[in-house]
Amino acid sequence: MTASRPAASPIASARGLVKVYGGGDTAVRALDGVDVDFGRGRMTAIMGPSGSGKSTLMHCMAGLDRPTSGSAVVEGEEIGRMNERQLTKLRRTRLGFIFQAFNLVPTLTALENITLPLDIARTPVDRAHLDAVVQAVGLTDRLGHKPGELSGGQQQRVACARALVARPAVVFADEPTGNLDSTSSGEVLGFLRRSVEDLGQSVVMVTHDPTAASYAHRVLFLADGRLVGDIADPTPETVLATLGSLRRTGPRHAAPAEASPSSSPTAS
Amino acid sequence: MLRVALRGIRAHLVRFLLSLLAVALGVAFVAGTFALRSMLSGTFDGIVEASTPADAYVRGLDPAADASDDGDDGGTAAPAGGPGAAFGSASPGVPLTLIEAAAAADDVAAVIPVIQGSVVLVGADGTAVAAGQAPSLALVYSADDPSITLLAGSAPVGDGEIALESGALAASGLAPGDTTTVVLGGEIREVTVTGEVGYSASFAGATLVLLPQDVALAVYAPDGLVSQLAVFGADGATQDDVVASVTRALAGLDAGDAAAAGVEVVTGEDVVQENKDAIGTVLGFITTFLLVFAAIALFVGAFIISNTFAMSVRQRMREFALLRAVGASPVQVFASILVQAAVVGLVGSALGVAGGLGLVELLRAVLGSMGMELAGDVPLDAASVGLSLGVGTLVSVVAAAIPARRAALVPPVEAMRDDVTTPEAPMHRRLVVGLVLALGGAAALAAAMLRPDSGRAGLLLGVGAGAVVVAMLALAPAIATAVVRVLAWPLVRALPPMGRLARGNVVRNPRRTASTAGALMIGMALVGAATVIASTTQASVADVVAQEVDADLVLRSAGAGIPAGAVTDVRALDDVATADAFAFAALAVAGPDETGDGGDTGDAVAPAAGTIVVGATPGTFGRTMTVTTVDGDLATLADGLAAVNQTVAGEDWRVGDTLRITSSTGSHEVQVGAVVTSQGIGGSVVVDADVLDTWEPPQAQVIDTVFVRGTTGDVEALRTEVAAAVSPYIVVSVMTSDEFVSDLAAQVDQILVILYALLGLSIVIAVLGIVNTLALSVIERTREIGLLRAVGLGRLQLAATITIESVLTAVFGTAIGLAVGVGLASTLPTLFADQGLSQLAIPWGSLLAMLALAVVVGVLAALWPGVRAARLRVLDAVSYE
Repeated sequence: MTASRPAASPIASARGLVKVYGGGDTAVRALDGVDVDFGRGRMTAIMGPSGSGKSTLMHCMAGLDRPTSGSAVVEGEEIGRMNERQLTKLRRTRLGFIFQAFNLVPTLTALENITLPLDIARTPVDRAHLDAVVQAVGLTDRLGHKPGELSGGQQQRVACARALVARPAVVFADEPTGNLDSTSSGEVLGFLRRSVEDLGQSVVMVTHDPTAASYAHRVLFLADGRLVGDIADPTPETVLATLGSLRRTGPRHAAPAEASPSSSPTAS
Repeated sequence: MLRVALRGIRAHLVRFLLSLLAVALGVAFVAGTFALRSMLSGTFDGIVEASTPADAYVRGLDPAADASDDGDDGGTAAPAGGPGAAFGSASPGVPLTLIEAAAAADDVAAVIPVIQGSVVLVGADGTAVAAGQAPSLALVYSADDPSITLLAGSAPVGDGEIALESGALAASGLAPGDTTTVVLGGEIREVTVTGEVGYSASFAGATLVLLPQDVALAVYAPDGLVSQLAVFGADGATQDDVVASVTRALAGLDAGDAAAAGVEVVTGEDVVQENKDAIGTVLGFITTFLLVFAAIALFVGAFIISNTFAMSVRQRMREFALLRAVGASPVQVFASILVQAAVVGLVGSALGVAGGLGLVELLRAVLGSMGMELAGDVPLDAASVGLSLGVGTLVSVVAAAIPARRAALVPPVEAMRDDVTTPEAPMHRRLVVGLVLALGGAAALAAAMLRPDSGRAGLLLGVGAGAVVVAMLALAPAIATAVVRVLAWPLVRALPPMGRLARGNVVRNPRRTASTAGALMIGMALVGAATVIASTTQASVADVVAQEVDADLVLRSAGAGIPAGAVTDVRALDDVATADAFAFAALAVAGPDETGDGGDTGDAVAPAAGTIVVGATPGTFGRTMTVTTVDGDLATLADGLAAVNQTVAGEDWRVGDTLRITSSTGSHEVQVGAVVTSQGIGGSVVVDADVLDTWEPPQAQVIDTVFVRGTTGDVEALRTEVAAAVSPYIVVSVMTSDEFVSDLAAQVDQILVILYALLGLSIVIAVLGIVNTLALSVIERTREIGLLRAVGLGRLQLAATITIESVLTAVFGTAIGLAVGVGLASTLPTLFADQGLSQLAIPWGSLLAMLALAVVVGVLAALWPGVRAARLRVLDAVSYE
């Protein structure tokens, strides 16, 4: 178990990240110079109002979108300069994804969905690891079912298992509980947090739900494409309070100093 | 609602593109058929008018025609285009002695005997002049004939001179003044081309050779009988005047002249109309034949349209639910989709009509470059255009009706839901209906096979085959999952996860897969059946030749028969022991109980004038030809008796019966001395060649085949010798028995190629259907594709997945279609064993090649959808709504 060490370098980082959509008069600066480090073996939540750029930030970090300028580095590799083939390989081997909806291939069983990244990469399945992951998400008896036969919560847990089974460097989760009731949300988020605690996984999650964000080690707040807030060890209350203060004072005011990458309180 | 419907098409134009194309191709076939028909009919009507220029015709009165008037209508359908056309009329000839009397009648300017004899013209390059299948005819040149014009040179006079029609002159490469060789009445003749003659119409590639009247009569009417006399009236006389006057003149002949009683005088207009009607009947057959294939193409196209609308409806369920929620009635939703279908159908049909016209223009150009000039009018009338548009639109609307109904029945509450799913209706009913049809069809086929001789076997075969094909389409969705799983197994093993993903996509919606593959099934079932029938025919032919023919060499002709002189020359060779010739004549044959034609024994007997009587060289049977004698003795042929071939003539005529034969020389009676069965003899009645010669002059017979046996065993030497002997006749080919078989097989292959070409369009449309389904399902699965790409599926892997999907669908359709087609065709040898299909031969190699072709087709069909899918940007796909 490669537990996160305090001195570990960030698993992913952005420097001067800018993303502009469109051009001319209609140009929109979705990201307006973001510098951020995502801690290794940490769970980081990104929050912000609609249009704040939180999804764009995640998409740029995950190689799904190309930044207009600046750099996005995952595990030491500059992904902004990768070509399509390299990005595909990166996604296949080093990244895990959980989307809000439509996470599973409907024609494959739960188990086939979980092992899909390994099958694509033609990597042999590590049975012990697979069993551990399946057991952790509590799906042992549902593996033969098609997604259509699973509840929304179960589907998201299958997605979590799929994201983790290939031991990716980072798991990117885009509103993973957006479509779930509170109980299922708790299960999924609890599982993600445990994967960080127990397996040393690194997770980056975009959410607009303060309760979901409180499962993270750290919450980043974005507004108008800029980083405007950063709190560690959040609770739903501190998240709400931060959101409230941002809304009152306006986004430009609260831009804080960059959080130290080694500010990890959860030592081994 | 109309606005919503039309906007819907505009917004999703790409999705309807292939439906449009499918309609366009099918309608192009329909419109092209109509255009071809009117072009051919225009061409042939022009030929009829140009070749029937006289005001009146004197022709033999067919005694059978009178008799059949008071009874059934069997005698009214002209046998044009059947064997009769090639052999000339079977009605009695007109004595040349009547010319004088007719010419002397009032209002008559000229009387010219009508001759249309077969001829071989050797061109400047030393080969026979022929354009495609168009005939070569020898006609009378008469200075009195107002319908022809001497364009250049001088009129032919005497034995050694001919004139050529402009088209023939151009095709032959000869010029007035040149000498060349012709084969006239079976004899070789060196002649000089003296002039170029023009008619008022183009003759569609027919090679016309004009002979001086006396020469033509000497060659083609040695017995003083011609088929018709053309009577040209004096200026100002109407056709009726001429007919009346000539009729009076002929009736006024000495009462003892019986010949006058046996002829009739008709107006030129009547003859033109009769000929046009006869041509119309033939063109009607051709049109119907082509329309069958056009219908298949349209039917296959309907699958594409139905699929397109089913998928578009599925994707827009929420839109329809919303429309319902804001107050649209189910009928309005239904109608809005039908309007879309009608627009697609109408636009596609319009493109198709244009395409069909283009196709026919192209055909005209190609045929023109081959020397067959066709009439140049715009070959489509308003009715045909309207019909083509109507058919295309109707097919689209009907095909869209079922998806439209589903859309109309969406409950409005579905609009509130996140993802609208339409539960697949269970397939029990379909399964039951399909199985009942399949079993019923199989039972009908079995019944037909058990009693192939009963009159209903053909009907049972048709009904059974139809039921099995419908059952195939009905059952396809039910068996798709199982069959595709089997087909996909090696791919799932070899290419995980692409194989598994592709298999999942194919079996995800069995109905869609089945209707996509169903289009291909129909085409492949027909292709499979055609292939089996062709190879069975070839095997049977080989079998017949092996059983019935025992000859060293076989002579055949590329033109209209083997010249009689060639047979004489071959017989004269030292090393030739025998040369047994089979000469055909189309005569009217009536049995003892019948008044007129060949009887009502079913489809085996050709109508009145088309019954083929074969004259065989004395002693042929038991020498080079062996047939099975059912009753009587073939030796009686030598006594002037006839043998009846049951295979062609049916079983009505027995030994001892007296047959009445009507030929150009009048009515003859002959007794049946033997009943035989033979696949090799293409005629109903066989007599000795000497007997046939007394009925019909040799010039009016066609020598189809000559079997040669040598005195030595050296076939190669014999062949060289015989080939040298027949080479002056140009059109005779010399073959060994094996070559004879492969020559016959090649003819079958030619027909097969035509069938393949006609079915090809259906297959192309079916392939478009696969492209269509794949392209639409790529759109439908955009988010799924995004997800797969996000978790690391590469572009090539994605394209491979779609390709495998395509190949599975194509192979599924091909395999099922071929299986059904081959199965159905395999029943035919049992049913038609006595009509030439004796040996079932299944061409496994060809069938395997077709499956391999299906793989190729699958790969090609996946190209565009695959590239489209691979080009999707991952982020766009993931967030696609």
